[in-house]
Amino acid sequence: MATSALADIRVLDLAGEVGWYCTKLLADLGADVIRVEPPGGDPLRDIGPFWHDERARDRSLIYFHYNTSKRSITLDITKPDGKALFERLAATADVVVETFAPGHLDALGLGFDALSKLRPGIILTSITGFGQDGPHAQYAWSDIVGVAMSGMMWLAGDREDPPNRPYGNQGYVCAGIDGAAGTLMALYHRDRTGEGQHVDVSMQEALLINQETAMMTYDMTGRIATRTGARGIIPIDLPGIGIFKANDGHVFAYLGTPGGAPWTTMLDWMNREGKAEDLNEEPNITMVRNLNLAFLTGLVREPDKLGERIAVLSHMYEVFARFCASFSKWYLYEEAQKQRLMIGIVSTPEDLAKNPQLAARNWYQDVEHPNLGATVRYGGPPYRLTETPWALRRPPLPGEHNTDVYIDELGLPQSQIDDLTKSGVI
Amino acid sequence: MTAVLDGIKVADFSWFGAGPICAQNLARFGATVVRVESEAHIDGLRGVMPFAMQPCPECNGAGCAKCSNTGKVTKTGYNVSGYFNNYNAGKLDITINMSTERGHEMARKLVAWCDIFITNQTPRIIERWRFTYDELKKINPRIIAAYQPMQGFSGPHRDFFGFGAVLNAITGYNELSGFPHRPPMGLGTNYPDYVINPGHTLVAILAALRHRERTGEGQMIELAQIESVVATLAPAVMDYTSNGRVQSRKGNRLSYAAPHGAFRCRDIEVQGQPTPTLDRWVALGIFTDVQWRALVDAMGSPAWAQDARFATFDGRKQHEDELEARINEWTRDQTAEDVMRLLQSKGIPAGVVQNAKDVLEDEHLRARGYFEYLDHPETGRSAYDGAPFRLPKTPGKLNRAAPLLGQDNEYVCKEILGMTDEEIAEALVEQALY
Repeated sequence: MATSALADIRVLDLAGEVGWYCTKLLADLGADVIRVEPPGGDPLRDIGPFWHDERARDRSLIYFHYNTSKRSITLDITKPDGKALFERLAATADVVVETFAPGHLDALGLGFDALSKLRPGIILTSITGFGQDGPHAQYAWSDIVGVAMSGMMWLAGDREDPPNRPYGNQGYVCAGIDGAAGTLMALYHRDRTGEGQHVDVSMQEALLINQETAMMTYDMTGRIATRTGARGIIPIDLPGIGIFKANDGHVFAYLGTPGGAPWTTMLDWMNREGKAEDLNEEPNITMVRNLNLAFLTGLVREPDKLGERIAVLSHMYEVFARFCASFSKWYLYEEAQKQRLMIGIVSTPEDLAKNPQLAARNWYQDVEHPNLGATVRYGGPPYRLTETPWALRRPPLPGEHNTDVYIDELGLPQSQIDDLTKSGVI
Repeated sequence: MTAVLDGIKVADFSWFGAGPICAQNLARFGATVVRVESEAHIDGLRGVMPFAMQPCPECNGAGCAKCSNTGKVTKTGYNVSGYFNNYNAGKLDITINMSTERGHEMARKLVAWCDIFITNQTPRIIERWRFTYDELKKINPRIIAAYQPMQGFSGPHRDFFGFGAVLNAITGYNELSGFPHRPPMGLGTNYPDYVINPGHTLVAILAALRHRERTGEGQMIELAQIESVVATLAPAVMDYTSNGRVQSRKGNRLSYAAPHGAFRCRDIEVQGQPTPTLDRWVALGIFTDVQWRALVDAMGSPAWAQDARFATFDGRKQHEDELEARINEWTRDQTAEDVMRLLQSKGIPAGVVQNAKDVLEDEHLRARGYFEYLDHPETGRSAYDGAPFRLPKTPGKLNRAAPLLGQDNEYVCKEILGMTDEEIAEALVEQALY
């Protein structure tokens, strides 16, 4: 049995979507994360897609993914008996993670000060749209509000379209990562000093650095960067730069970057495949030999030759596009990379499932689900630690660990559990 | 007040985004971070825009042909890139040329000194530097060594190369984001470089640090960037492996909300931009019938919104094209701020699609003091992204602006590497300190 960095840490997980990646990261590193679901099960379990497309609270794939390695109890903390039970649990906890509107836990009598009295040194991690204070603290939020207000969404997409929201609730993912890092930082401090604290994560703030250079550009130069679509910031079609169609999908190419092979290597490949067309002839061949980033940045310095050069570049672009269109995306990706030509496959989810690198490194994880009578394939580790490895355990059914936690660990009698169940607390 | 990571020492052999941002967050919370660079192996970001500006020397700021009548031109050199600076504040900086034997010897001393080593160099360079984990462990048995290779240290694609934008494509962001009638163009940035990869690495390092504190044992962290990113997109892969469904991009729509997207508001004029008219959008999402009724109320309960087709989630989903068109008509002549405030007053999640100017002037971020403004000898005062999380008892703070290339050569050589003046002079002559 490998050791774990967090085996002695108990986390009570009251989090909604914006916080469940945080607690997953802690759970997969070995913490005892107890997810506190409302009686009947967490409504977030209703989010699809579902395993075998069967809509039920024990088969949401997105819920599976974000709740691995956790245990589950059901508990209504807004009822007095539920709150009392939560207080008993909190006295055994190192960390509580929550995502309610700021002040909600305080109103229930379960804010940081109250929790600290129950358990000195406790860490309360609050992950919300805008953080615990400030004029927008009580603003309603969801993922798209975070990516919009952080400036990140403005930078994605074509100028003709609305700005693009990145796929996959990236606001929740980034806030979750920062929530986990903040929790571990606070835990490190607690281990050393015994002092707990209230960790405050704002989704908007977690996302701001994703603006790349836009913030610094405005600060330093006064220019507002905007979304530039498929072509990027370059106003003309450059051969071997951008998104190209393969015969079964797309690739993303960026030839000529430092560290990569030059365009002449690309031309050799095109020659071997018999698809160089007229690129070995003048004026194309001279352009092939000269084509690098320095040359391209220098284009504007000789405006009298610009028209002629753009015509050659456009022609090369077309030849390169035809080359890509005659092969599969996997062939283009793997053959190019072997020659240090920077071409990346535009992967579909199917491509990711079949990616030979991920397969060779045994990245995907098959997990038994006895209630489904099946194994489900999960995404694997974001990082590999040699001594305290990441490890995946099956996500829980709603209330699966009620007996373990309430009877075996807290020592409640069965009769009390029955009463609490009848009154809708559990 | 003592910082959380007071006494923790970090040797930062990384470059570009994913490594430096992680190390910067260690510095922010009190670690001593030595960033290692070299003119022989320069961090590419030092040469990438934006660059700090200065008054045009031709016209002294009056405006002339040379400065396109702006009165300003960019400063030049290695130290004026906002891109580099934003990820390296709070660090010490030494230039060590790793292709010299003396440089390598100095680097080994830093490895012996540090608690945490971090690099996002390629497997090839790590081998050339003799900095595999086995080598590092010989120098420093308790070291925590964090590596961020693109594809990992094993497997058939080990030596495949790329950068953030290529990773966007390879990991699925391109295919899954954006509108279906457009090519899979990606997110407009090298997205995984900024939070996903440095953030995951920070989580792993802090877990390893806790383990070391308790057991004395160091370890190796291997963050294969492809794995770190696909981990955040795994539900789409699970939908394929469980259901055979190959998801693709659906614009701004979300399976469990409707309407959900960005809606066009009144354009704004901003002076000093290449195109002064900027489009303006408000993002919103309706997840429940309660929110829908609040939206109808906010719109003034127009007749179309009373239509029974829109009363339920399933109905709204089915008629989403029409729903979006109607909402766009309602937002089009209002300011994005007005729409946001109105919807927020009714409890609806809504926000302006902000640009960089908005973000820097955002009253909420200002009240929370998110951005840090630091004085730098070459760029002057400029804005830096702030802490990714708040720890009220041990707040993170950048204690200095980004270092100039080699700014701390003498300090690091003497105080950390224990070199004499003669040794430093020799290192300069041999271009080991370079």
